[in-house]
Amino acid sequence: MSPTGAIPLLIVVLLMISIGGGDVQEMSVTFQGDTDADSFADVHVVAGGTTTVPGNATVGSDVYVIGGTAAIEGTVDGDVTLLNGNLSVDDGATVTGTLQTYSGSAAISSDASVGRISQFEAPTPSNSPARRIGGFLLQFLVLGAFGWWLVERHPLVAGNVGAAITEHALVSGVVGSLGATTLLVLFVYMAFTLVLLPLAIAGLVAEFLVVLYGQAVFGYLIGTRLPIESDGVATLAGIAALLLVLEILGVVPYLGGIAQLGVAVVGFGAVLNTYFGLQRFEPVTIPGGT
Amino acid sequence: MEFSTHVRERQWMTVAGYGLFVALMVAGYYYNITFVQLGLIDLGTRLVGLSETAVSVGMAALALVTLVVAAVTGVTMDRRGWSTNLRTKLRLLFGVVCVQFVLTLVAPMVRTVPTFGAWIVLASIGLGIGFPVSFSLAIDLVPVPDRGYVAAAITAIAYFLANAIPLSWSVDVFSQVLVAAMAPGIVVLAVLSFISFDRLDAILDALGAQRETYGTGRFCHGEPIRARSLAFAVPVVLMFGVFFIDSLGFLRIIDTPSLILSSWQSPDLSTRLGIAVAHVVGAVMAGVIYANYSLSRVFLWTFALFALTHVMYTSDLRIAEVFPTIAGDGTSPLNPALYAIAVSFYTTLNFALWPDLSTSETIGTHSAIGVGVAGWLATFSSTALALYFQAADLTLLSHLNVVQALSLLLLFGLAVGLYARKMVELARENGGASA
Repeated sequence: MSPTGAIPLLIVVLLMISIGGGDVQEMSVTFQGDTDADSFADVHVVAGGTTTVPGNATVGSDVYVIGGTAAIEGTVDGDVTLLNGNLSVDDGATVTGTLQTYSGSAAISSDASVGRISQFEAPTPSNSPARRIGGFLLQFLVLGAFGWWLVERHPLVAGNVGAAITEHALVSGVVGSLGATTLLVLFVYMAFTLVLLPLAIAGLVAEFLVVLYGQAVFGYLIGTRLPIESDGVATLAGIAALLLVLEILGVVPYLGGIAQLGVAVVGFGAVLNTYFGLQRFEPVTIPGGT
Repeated sequence: MEFSTHVRERQWMTVAGYGLFVALMVAGYYYNITFVQLGLIDLGTRLVGLSETAVSVGMAALALVTLVVAAVTGVTMDRRGWSTNLRTKLRLLFGVVCVQFVLTLVAPMVRTVPTFGAWIVLASIGLGIGFPVSFSLAIDLVPVPDRGYVAAAITAIAYFLANAIPLSWSVDVFSQVLVAAMAPGIVVLAVLSFISFDRLDAILDALGAQRETYGTGRFCHGEPIRARSLAFAVPVVLMFGVFFIDSLGFLRIIDTPSLILSSWQSPDLSTRLGIAVAHVVGAVMAGVIYANYSLSRVFLWTFALFALTHVMYTSDLRIAEVFPTIAGDGTSPLNPALYAIAVSFYTTLNFALWPDLSTSETIGTHSAIGVGVAGWLATFSSTALALYFQAADLTLLSHLNVVQALSLLLLFGLAVGLYARKMVELARENGGASA
C-alpha cells in the first residue's frame, strides 16, 4: 500500500486515536517488507507487508492494521484494531486490551489470551427494508427541517443559491468540484500535522454541511415546481422527492453515483458562489461580443 | 457562449474561424510540448552524445533566442501593420511552418555539436516568429467572450493527444509523426496564404473584418492597456511565476524515473489516459472560470492548484524519507492528475490572456512580451536554476521543496496583493474610513 493509498485509513486511525483521548507521543507505520518487532511507538500502524510480534516479545503499544498482515505470536500490551488486511493471533499469544475487528480477515486462535474481543457489525441497510426506510426518514427529517427553516425564515437566501443552481449549473459544478476537492485534500493534510487535527475535523464536518445545504436548496427548487401553496411544505415535498430520486438512481450502477456526485458538487459550488446565499451570483460581463 | 449562437445562425465563416484558430494553435502547441520539450533532450543526449546538462544549456539558449526573436517580431508586426492584416499573418505562419517542417525532418540526422547548435538557433527563430503571429490570429478569428472556452479547447485537445497517444519520447518517432501531420497543414496554409480566387478572398476578407468587433480584448475596453502599465506588467509577472514553478518542478520530475515511469511515461495506457482526461477536465474548468470570473480568481485557482500539487508531491516524498522501504514505490496517480489539472489551468489562461490584454494595434508586442517573458524567459531561468540544483547535488525532496515554497509564496503574495488593492480602492472611494 502506497502512502497516498493508505491516507484514508490513516485518517480513520488518527480520528480513532483522537476520539480515544490517549496520550500519544509517537506513531510508527509499516508500509512494506517483513518486520519482526520487539518494540513499537505508542501507536503502530500496519499498512503493508508483514509485521510479526515474535513469541518471546512484548510490545507496549496499540496496534492498528489497515493493510498487509499482522501476526501476533508474543504479547501486545494494549489494544489491537483491524480495519483492513489480515490479522492472526496465534496459540499462546496475548493481547491485554481489546481486539476490535471492523473489516479484513482475522484468525484468532482459541489458545490465545485476549482481554476482550469485539467485532463491529457494519449496518447492512440493503438487506433490511425497515433500516433502509429508517435511514431515509432520518435523512429526510434532518434535511427537511433545515430546508423548512431556510425557506420560511430566509427565502431570499434560498432563492439566491437556487438561482446559482438553475442559471449557472456548469459554473457551480466547476467551482463545487474544485472547491470540494481542494478543501478535502487540504483537511486531510492538515490532519496529518496532528496539531491541526481538530481544525481538519471541523473543516470536514463543515464541508459535509455545505453539501447538505446544497441538497436542501435542490429540494426547494423541486418544491417550487410542485402545485403546493405553502413554500415550506413545498420544500419538504421537494426534498422528499429529491431523496427518493437519488435513492432510486442509486440502484443503477454508476448512474446513481454520478447523479449523487453531481447534486453534491453543483450544490456545493452554488453555496460558495453566493456566499451562502447572501449575494446573488452574477458572472462577469465580457464586452466585445457580436 | 457565442459559438452556439453562430452555429444556430449558420454563420459558418465565423465558425470556420474558430476551427482554423484551434487547429493552428493545437498543432503549434502539440509540436512545442512534444518535439521541442521532449524530442530535443533525446536528440542532444542520444544522437549528438551531449550530457543532459549540456542539452539543458542548449534548451535555455533556445528559450532566450526565442524571446529575443519574438520581441523583435511582435514590435515589427505592430509597427508595420502586419498585426491587422490576416493574409500577411498567414504568410508569415506558412514560412514558419515550412522552416519547422524542414528542421523536424532533418532533426534525426543531426550528429555533431555545431549542427545541433545551428539547429537550435534556427528552431528559435521559427518559434520566435511563430508564436506572436499565431496568437495575433485571435483578434481576427475568436470572439472575445469565447476566448476562455477556445483556449480550453486548445489546451484540452493538445494535452489529450500528447498524453493519450503512446509515442516513445524519441526524436525519430516525434519527427516521423510530426512531419506527417505538418505536410497537410503546409498545403492548407499555402492555399490560404498565396492562392487568390473570389470565394477564398471573400472568406479571408470577412474573417479579417471580424477584427473590428473582436480586435479589442476583454481587459482593454475603456482604456487600452499599454505594455508599460501595471495592468500588463502584473499578469506578466504572475504568469512568469506560474511557468517558472511548473518548469522547475517538472524538470526534476521527468529526471526521476520512479515518478515519471509511474505517470507520464507509464507503460500502462490507463494511467496515461487518466492524465490525459485530467488535462481535459482542468482545461474545461479553467475555461469556465475564465469566462465567468475576474482574472484574479483564475490566478488564485492556478496558484492554489500548484501549491496543492507540490504539497502532495513533497508529502509523499517526506513519508518515503521517513519510511525508506517505500522510496522506490513510485507515486500516487492522484499527484500527476492534480499536476495535469494545474498545468491545464495556466495553459488555458495563457492562450486567452494575451489577446485579451491587447488591441489590434498591440497584439503583436503584447503576445510577444507576454508569452516570451512569461513562457520562454521563465523556462530559461528555471532551467538555469535546475542546473544549479543539479550541480549542488540537491535531493529530489529539497528540489521540490523549493518549488513548493515558491508556489505557496505566490499564492500568499497574490492573496495579500488583492486584499491590499481592495483596501486602496476603499480608501480612495471613501477618502478615508467610513461608518
